[in-house]
Amino acid sequence: MSCGCGDCEEMMQPYLDGVLSDEQVLQAQAHLERCPGCDKRYRFEVTLRRFVRVAASEEMRLELRHKLSSLRAAG
Amino acid sequence: MSESAPTSAETRRLAEVARDRVRFEQEALELSDQVYRVARRLVGSREEAEDLMQEAYARAFRSWQQYQPGTNLRAWLLRILTNLNIDRGRRVQRTPDMQPLEEGDYFLYNKLESTLGDANPDEDRVIERLSQNSVVEALAEVPHDFRDVLVLVDIGEFSYAEAAQILDIPIGTVMSRLHRGRRALKQNLAEKAVV
Repeated sequence: MSCGCGDCEEMMQPYLDGVLSDEQVLQAQAHLERCPGCDKRYRFEVTLRRFVRVAASEEMRLELRHKLSSLRAAG
Repeated sequence: MSESAPTSAETRRLAEVARDRVRFEQEALELSDQVYRVARRLVGSREEAEDLMQEAYARAFRSWQQYQPGTNLRAWLLRILTNLNIDRGRRVQRTPDMQPLEEGDYFLYNKLESTLGDANPDEDRVIERLSQNSVVEALAEVPHDFRDVLVLVDIGEFSYAEAAQILDIPIGTVMSRLHRGRRALKQNLAEKAVV
């Protein structure tokens, strides 16, 4: 288990989103350094976000690219 | 001289507008890969995403003069696209907003870790419990309102403020929908995990 502190869990997403204040960021970093439970969940969250972004990405088909291009006023 | 002057000024102005237009179209097309990546996950199928892209680009090219140069063009395009998507009546088939989402943020990790029988697994090994397909499916099952925000922020990498502007909702709503969307995604992923 992690440190069991609900506050950390609540701070994790805002921390990852980069929306905490400077002071909160320092607190979070200090906590991650001394709490292996939260630190491994933090690393998992970073990996999960990247995995989701990559797994959900689908390339546009060439055909659509041509169609969009033909919608221009210039044709 | 005095007769031809206004004509050439007018010609110059028209040429400038034409140039601006070509530049706008060029820039919009260069962003199409990024716009598509978001569009594809806002809707259920590739066909729908392709239709939506064409509608959005047709509208963008028509109303290009409403775009203010120097502002975020990708956000402007996605605002058109999400509005069209909502107008298409997707609300009719929308899934209910309320889901039991009381699991915490660590829920998915805890579940995946418990299947490994290793007290301290590497995060890459934990992620291996998930497949690419499961992500696509899990995302598709997140209720629409939450999914729009989730896709814009976590796939499109827009800021909270940009997502708020694109969807025309308050930033606090972006944050709460994102929070619930991410939890819904994790809950769906936990159900699809390889155990």
